Amino acid sequence: MLSQSEIISVLQMLKNENLDVRTVTLGINLFDCVSQQLDNFKANIHNKIKSLASNLVNMCDQVGEKYGIPVVNKRIAVSPIAAVGAPFDASQLVAVAHTLDTVAKEVNVDFIGGFSALVEKGVARGDQALIESIPHALAETERVCASVNVASTAAGINMDAVLMMGQTIKQAAELTGADDGIACAKLCVFANIPQDIPFMAGAYLGIGEPDAVINIGVSGPGVVKKAIDRAIKTEDGIDLRRVSEIIKRTAYKVTRVGELIGREVADNLNIRFGVADLSLAPTPNVGDSVGEIFQSLGLTSIGVPGSTAALALLNNAVKKGGAFASSHVGGLSGAFIPVSEDLNISDSAQNGFLSIEKLEALTSVCSVGLDMVAIPGNTSVDTLAAIIADEMAIGVINKKTTATRLIPVPGKKAGEMAYFGGLLGRATIMPVINATGANQFVRLGGLIPAPIQSLTN
Amino acid sequence: MHKVIVSVLGPDRPGIIATVSKILFELGSNIENVSQTILQEEFSGIFIATLAPEVTIDQIEKYLTDSLKPMGLRVFVKHLERKATDFQMPPSESFVITTMGPDRKGLVAGITAILARYGVNVTNLQAVFKGGEKPDDNVMIYEVDIPNDIDHQRFRGDLRQKAQELDLDLTLQHKRIFEEINRL
Repeated sequence: MLSQSEIISVLQMLKNENLDVRTVTLGINLFDCVSQQLDNFKANIHNKIKSLASNLVNMCDQVGEKYGIPVVNKRIAVSPIAAVGAPFDASQLVAVAHTLDTVAKEVNVDFIGGFSALVEKGVARGDQALIESIPHALAETERVCASVNVASTAAGINMDAVLMMGQTIKQAAELTGADDGIACAKLCVFANIPQDIPFMAGAYLGIGEPDAVINIGVSGPGVVKKAIDRAIKTEDGIDLRRVSEIIKRTAYKVTRVGELIGREVADNLNIRFGVADLSLAPTPNVGDSVGEIFQSLGLTSIGVPGSTAALALLNNAVKKGGAFASSHVGGLSGAFIPVSEDLNISDSAQNGFLSIEKLEALTSVCSVGLDMVAIPGNTSVDTLAAIIADEMAIGVINKKTTATRLIPVPGKKAGEMAYFGGLLGRATIMPVINATGANQFVRLGGLIPAPIQSLTN
Repeated sequence: MHKVIVSVLGPDRPGIIATVSKILFELGSNIENVSQTILQEEFSGIFIATLAPEVTIDQIEKYLTDSLKPMGLRVFVKHLERKATDFQMPPSESFVITTMGPDRKGLVAGITAILARYGVNVTNLQAVFKGGEKPDDNVMIYEVDIPNDIDHQRFRGDLRQKAQELDLDLTLQHKRIFEEINRL
């Protein structure tokens, strides 16, 4: 028999604290679809994705209804297209992106990720074509997401690829200038990209993964915030040890929800369950924000001194609670701080509390990086590449994942607003130091060698 | 050996369980299951016990009544036996229904009428009415077994429609979600 408080507490999380499963992502291996003939390749990937994913959305809704917990996003991640589509040139890969977009619409998923290349040590022919195709592929499609891994702790930083990504981002933004450079919201540049991320835009299915796999992303910033608020209100003498304990317990609960639903969806589809990604993923709704947690912890706003320590506490506690709750964790697993996707973080930037430099510092202790950061449209390719290089260095040296999702908003200056719509939100354009200038450092090119694994200071 | 079920109902006070169990012990019977609850100030207890062959239902009812009546309690005793004609629950899964909304007459009757129509069995019902219009103060929690072979979509639809008529906010969730979240 369940106790009244056990039932009421779950209802409270659902009704007032935005508890949900943020994403169920079906990974699909496309290596058995390869062909030298573009039409065959397109037909093969279309057929394989459709056969595996046709019931995904329906099953997520059915299981979500059974447990009374909505699955907000249903997505697909495929093998890196740069590898499976290696024989094709850039224009042919744009056609492949269209096929992915079409099938995503047919099976009714929100996004399809995996328009990706792994180039941390070098750029192969297929990688080159894919990177060249990204601006048009993202501008001409709706649901395709791209990612490029340009660095890793084992390989170092491929600065030639970093510069290419600066150019790619610039071009993608210009092609979608009327929509504030929205194509860039679907493009992540990574260091140490995990093979099993369920979240977009970085989701792809790694080469070491099974033929098909269900990975899930839990959510819960609202649940964590309310738990902290309740404890601070009701517990005398509460300290940060206790706050950390409360976050751990809450992360445990939201992870259990995600894993239960993910496993049942996977079982019903007869597909293997992969991992739960223990990330706090915000939306632009009040009460579903990572930024608000900083205020619950006593900071004026995310970005003020103390924010990095607060984020370190939060991220670590979420991981500890989540790791205990799930038998397989993976993906990014940490708090997200996507500027435009979190109303509170966006407001902090607008109010001058949060700069791109402070964001960079925050990313040294959280899972992603400079995420959904709108910058002036006239930011030069060199400066874009230099920002990416800095972010990659944090990931490479600290043996963690970092990424950038930068949007140089065409025709707009620092302080103006960029609007991306829906879950992508809106953001104040942040000023960038040396935005329009040249940067000889990134033009030197080559590989920054992999870091030494001892002498860790 | 034969089994009996004893139910005791009346105003709560210390010593009720002690009195019942002492009498059953002295008659050589063994208590197998007990469930008791207190609603407001009223005690209700159900005991299932195995009796020695020579002890009759009338005897046990007389002893219990003699001791409990002065405490204002009523006693009912009957043989426990399953008959072939008794209701058998078909294969089913456990769900939790909660309703929140302003307190008014007929809420439980309205919801349970739908449950009964679909053969859904209520295994536990907790209702907390603090009165007034504040929904959170008036919560009903039904733990139910829903037969696997009913039309779940229609059942959900009918239940939600009834809830709407009664001005109730209703949720229907598989029980496992509560266990997964709250228990190790």
